Amino acid sequence: MIVVGSDRADFPGQTESLLLSVAANQASIGLREAGLLRQQKRIADELDRRVAERTAELASTNRELASEIIERKLAEEALRTSEIKLRQVIDTIPTLAWCNLPDGPNEFLSKPWHDYTGLSPEESHGWGWQVAFHPEDLPPLMKRWRELLVSGEGDEMEARLRRRDGVYRWFLIRVQPLRNNEGEIIRWYGTSTDIEDRRVAEERLARNEAFLAEGQHLSRTGSFSWCVNSGSITWSEEMYRIFEFEEGTNVTLEEIGSRMHPEDLRIFNEMIERARAGVGDFEYEHRLLMPDGTVKHLHLIAHVRGDNPGEYIGAVQDVTQRRLSEQALSKARSELANVARVTSLGVLTASIAHEVNQPLSGIITNASTCLRMLSADPPNVDGACETARRTIRDGNRASDVISRLRTLYSKKEPTLESIDLNDAAREVTAMSSTEIQRAGVSLRQDFAESLPLASADRVQIQQVILNLIRNATEAMSTVDDRARELIITTELQGQQVLLSVKDSGVGLAPEAADKIFEAFHSTKNDGMGIGLSVSRSIIEAHRGRLWATKNDGPGVTFSFTIPRRSEGAIDVENLTNVDDRKADAA
Amino acid sequence: MDASFALAHCFGMDPRRSTPERPLVSVVDDDESVRESLPDLLREFGFEAIAFSRAEDFLSSDRLSQTKCLVLDIAMPGMSGLDLQQELRRRRESIPIIFITGQKDDANRELALRQGAAHFLYKPFSDISLLNALDLAIPQ
Repeated sequence: MIVVGSDRADFPGQTESLLLSVAANQASIGLREAGLLRQQKRIADELDRRVAERTAELASTNRELASEIIERKLAEEALRTSEIKLRQVIDTIPTLAWCNLPDGPNEFLSKPWHDYTGLSPEESHGWGWQVAFHPEDLPPLMKRWRELLVSGEGDEMEARLRRRDGVYRWFLIRVQPLRNNEGEIIRWYGTSTDIEDRRVAEERLARNEAFLAEGQHLSRTGSFSWCVNSGSITWSEEMYRIFEFEEGTNVTLEEIGSRMHPEDLRIFNEMIERARAGVGDFEYEHRLLMPDGTVKHLHLIAHVRGDNPGEYIGAVQDVTQRRLSEQALSKARSELANVARVTSLGVLTASIAHEVNQPLSGIITNASTCLRMLSADPPNVDGACETARRTIRDGNRASDVISRLRTLYSKKEPTLESIDLNDAAREVTAMSSTEIQRAGVSLRQDFAESLPLASADRVQIQQVILNLIRNATEAMSTVDDRARELIITTELQGQQVLLSVKDSGVGLAPEAADKIFEAFHSTKNDGMGIGLSVSRSIIEAHRGRLWATKNDGPGVTFSFTIPRRSEGAIDVENLTNVDDRKADAA
Repeated sequence: MDASFALAHCFGMDPRRSTPERPLVSVVDDDESVRESLPDLLREFGFEAIAFSRAEDFLSSDRLSQTKCLVLDIAMPGMSGLDLQQELRRRRESIPIIFITGQKDDANRELALRQGAAHFLYKPFSDISLLNALDLAIPQ
């Protein structure tokens, strides 16, 4: 203002003077203030120094803070990694995981759940997941779920869950509540596991079990397992029914023994001994005597388990009905056979009479005529010669008739075939089982496994076996103080197959031992079987041997051997001779 | 039965031999040895004899009317002896019949006798029983 004003004449004007005085005042203040400022500067410097100190302190703190932040970031990273891992676990475990809110609706479903059902989180949210369940399974499932919400208990249920392709599969659903410190439920956690294969297997198993039970019931066959060492016995339903024990009760050998027919108790005890000795598979026929006095016939077959040699598994069939009908049938058959025998004998006699009487009639007439012609006067020698010639011719004719009859009633040609001695024997025992049973004889068949075939006349060999069985049965008919036991065994002896029939009968008198194989020695003759002499002829014609040995205990064992098939052909001539001998004996 | 008559036959002394006409005895039997042997014996007895193998052949034969006695088998193929007997009755032919059979069958025997058979012999029979039967059957 002064610089500008100094160029003017009228400087300073009134206003300018005022202003200048203010300025002068200000300047003096300024000067005063300048002094103050210097003082202030000192203070400021002090401040600066302090600030610098403080700043350094702060910087240091800041550095610490920064490293702390890095650490925190690392921690967060770790947490995230852990969360990812957890999610991976949840999404990878072979089950569907989920979480519901305390009052029921869904909060979370794992990715596999969505993948399986094909429902989006929006669709399944809240109660939306219900559509994934089978309509039949949902109501009971919801009912149970509501019960759990009230009771606060964990549980498991099974229900069908729809796959995204519309196929329902069975799931096992497990749920468990999570509680806070106060014990209040804050979440429900659950898993749903696919059990379709198990369910299918279970259903198949249940069906098979039902089939088995029904089959067992219909065929009256029970099955069992028996661990010899521990003594533990497992029975199927039908076993209980057969033995008439209350189903499901623990069964002991003693209890089973109490049902045994007293006469068959020996068989039962022997069976146990054999099993304990580890003899192997066995097969028995025995009887039960029920508390009401009825008798049941059982057929038992047991095998050692391949995977556990100490355990037997087996089946028992109630063959009572069959036995009874067999007995009835056999009775009818024997009556019929008797009738047939009488009838055929009559027919045979008549036919023989007719066949023989024709030539005989000629012989007598011719001989009479011859005599008359010779006694005439003069004798008619030519006529007599002619009639004598006819007499001789008719005599030959009668002889032809006899030999024709012999051919007719003896076997024509031996039939050689490969036979399984076990099968052959089985057929005979099946055929004569009623007879054996009726004689109060218990039969045991102890057949060698994989016995080689023999080349033989099946019918002839079976006649021999039948004969031996009949002899044995008869030998025991008077035995009352011990079991009447018939044991048929087969075995391989070198190049021979052997069959023996062991009885517990009266045995052989020493003087009889040599004679039993002689023709016509046997005192009995019921017409159906053949004697021991013929049996021996048959066996010898097969190049085998038939002999008898005294048992260590009571009774006798008859055994025969015949060559196994690889031995070569059998002399057909010999077999024919047997027929002749048989015919002669007849 | 005239014992001396039978005895005379046994020694071949046939009283009928002197008579010019010998009574005809026909034999019907399917068995050849009977057809061969029986006529010879009958001739020895002093009869004329002829044999047929089938009942039908006898029925159609012109010797039927001359037959004084028929020796007839029962079991034959085709017409049986009993059938022939009935057929003769139906034709009112009163030829005496002596049945001979190899089969012992009392029912047949009874039936044959009821139908008027003169005699019933089981094969084999002796010459004497046949001769007795013939003597009884043929009216003297």
